[in-house]
Amino acid sequence: MARSKNYQDPKLEEKLKDRKYYATDSNPDFLKEVEKIGQTIAHMCYQCGTCTGSCPSAPRSSYRIRLFMRKAVLGLEEEALTDPDLWLCTTCYSCTDRCPRDIAPTDVIMAMRNLAAKRDIVPRNFLQTVQLIYKSGHGVPNNDVNRAARVKLGLEAEPETTHKYPEYIPGIQKIIDHYELKAKADRLVAQGE
Amino acid sequence: MSGNNMRQYAFFLGCIAPNRYPGIEAAAIKTSKKVGIELLPLKGASCCPAPGAFGSIDLNIWYAMAARNVVLAEQMNMDIALICNGCYKSIYEVNHKLKHNDELRDGVNEVLKEIDMEFKGTVDVWHLAELYYDPEIVGIKKLADSVTRPLTGAKIAVHYGCHLMKPKKERHFGNTENPMWIEELVAALGAEPVQYRNKMQCCGAGGGVRGYDLAHALDITNEKMINLQEVGADALTEVCPFCQLQYDRGQIEIQEKFGSTYGLPVLHYNELLGLAQGMNPDELALDLHAVDVEPFLKKIL
Repeated sequence: MARSKNYQDPKLEEKLKDRKYYATDSNPDFLKEVEKIGQTIAHMCYQCGTCTGSCPSAPRSSYRIRLFMRKAVLGLEEEALTDPDLWLCTTCYSCTDRCPRDIAPTDVIMAMRNLAAKRDIVPRNFLQTVQLIYKSGHGVPNNDVNRAARVKLGLEAEPETTHKYPEYIPGIQKIIDHYELKAKADRLVAQGE
Repeated sequence: MSGNNMRQYAFFLGCIAPNRYPGIEAAAIKTSKKVGIELLPLKGASCCPAPGAFGSIDLNIWYAMAARNVVLAEQMNMDIALICNGCYKSIYEVNHKLKHNDELRDGVNEVLKEIDMEFKGTVDVWHLAELYYDPEIVGIKKLADSVTRPLTGAKIAVHYGCHLMKPKKERHFGNTENPMWIEELVAALGAEPVQYRNKMQCCGAGGGVRGYDLAHALDITNEKMINLQEVGADALTEVCPFCQLQYDRGQIEIQEKFGSTYGLPVLHYNELLGLAQGMNPDELALDLHAVDVEPFLKKIL
């Protein structure tokens, strides 16, 4: 089948496009990268589907962990990293505990997310957490209602964290800056606006 | 300071307990004291950082940030105790990985050097709940002996959450299909633990999904709520403030989005222990809970 058909109507071209995989779609390094970052033996997967059967996200969406496992093994990097379902894993590790091949499919997903992030594919809420931690040390920072409640409990208004000791925040910022993650988060969040 | 048989730990707070449900923090400190555990401030600690949000972007930053928190405890020469499954994943798991993987540890130490810190691997990390269960540390008997107001007649369901016990081969809790040890902790308070369908299912919030697709996360929570309602639980208890947030605020969101109402009070085990040790509801800031805890209090007070 032709990969491009040059139909006049772009809608029809899209509707009828060739959905076969070709050897050239595969990046054999993808599996190696996933295994290195995820520290798990993804290539041992024999596609039994215990993972998808254990997955709380599967019954309410098109997310299929088994599919991502197959894409890892086949090197279908583009397919895997651009699929929005990649971000529907709650990382509950049920698939990992039940995998008969002793693979950690959850960590395959984590590795793929890391690789997607390298291509600037990261949902906003993940980046916003980074921005919050950079600013205050906390992903969920204190607020006035909570400060008042803390004082009523006999606790100090600020917990014994970076909130009470902001002098620790520059160290945290240095770590995040080492990986240039704050700049990246700012850039991608601004792009989305 | 207290040489009188108190075991001391550096208390890692995380985010949601101190900044959304401070009653958990207050209760953890007070209730632990009554069973021989003193929780000391871990000054300058940060977010663990959130394993889903941070780990998904770059595991190396997650290792380095979590390691910084561990090093603060190393400087105190003290093991860490904490009260949140999410924090447990970050702090326990990174500590464990860095102790056993030279390549990872060297990578992390290269970054920590920039802020004059070094991960040495000299402390251990514990969830407070496992210290309560451990007969060498506290144990069920000592816990039961600390109870002054037994929660008699209350049916309490347990949500274990994910990151304390799973993945099981990187943990030490054994079976993750139908564990019963937190039910034992609940029974020690005089309450009746109840079983329900698919107990070990995730609350739905983790992995960044709560922020990415709230309806999806809540639909998972709602499935758990249906299963909890079936067995007539008076309250749900857990050992993870993020799960607590998902069940507690989530019930309000479920009502708004799906139109289902449950009104099931959700209490962290330390809040429950506080009540059983005679703490008053206003010493636990139970008014900050989204779901009214009053019906449960009427049952036990």
